[in-house]
Amino acid sequence: MDAGTYPNEAVIEFIHQNVVPLQVASDQQPMASDFKVTWTPALLILDQEGNEHHRTVGFMGADELIPSLLLGIGNLHFNGNNFKKALSSYENIVSDFSESDSAPEAIFQRGVSLYKSTSDPKPLKEAYEYLQDKYPENQWTKRAYPYRLIQ
Amino acid sequence: MEKKVNWETELVKALERSKNEGKPIFLDFFNPQ
Repeated sequence: MDAGTYPNEAVIEFIHQNVVPLQVASDQQPMASDFKVTWTPALLILDQEGNEHHRTVGFMGADELIPSLLLGIGNLHFNGNNFKKALSSYENIVSDFSESDSAPEAIFQRGVSLYKSTSDPKPLKEAYEYLQDKYPENQWTKRAYPYRLIQ
Repeated sequence: MEKKVNWETELVKALERSKNEGKPIFLDFFNPQ
């Protein structure tokens, strides 16, 4: 990724604006053991206390890395019950990176965030219907399948 | 605009920056071989 993804201008700008980048060799201890790293590249999003909220393993091009980081940031806020900030990240993925591998999970998480912040279950059903329409074979469509029954 | 990613290499420094800047940490474990 050092050869192609990280030199990408959009990636540089996104990282500069949104995260603190930390690069560590996978044989560096105790970090590798602490984070149970078994394959590289392992890409993690951590909060300010060092707690992990998102992980991907394997190469990512620039077109996938930015939405993946947005998803991780969204999940960090989701885990902290900050649904307004989580929704902002998920909406960014849906609007600007709809073709990315992160988009279906973002749509799922958007529905769950809206439900958890309003107690209205309708967004869960809408998430399923959106996923079924745009990504019928995706795993997140299958995970949302029960929501089709919501009245 | 930055011309490259300015990586931190130590968790302690990254955590300090994360708190000061209010940003999450993006941690990349890479293969050193």
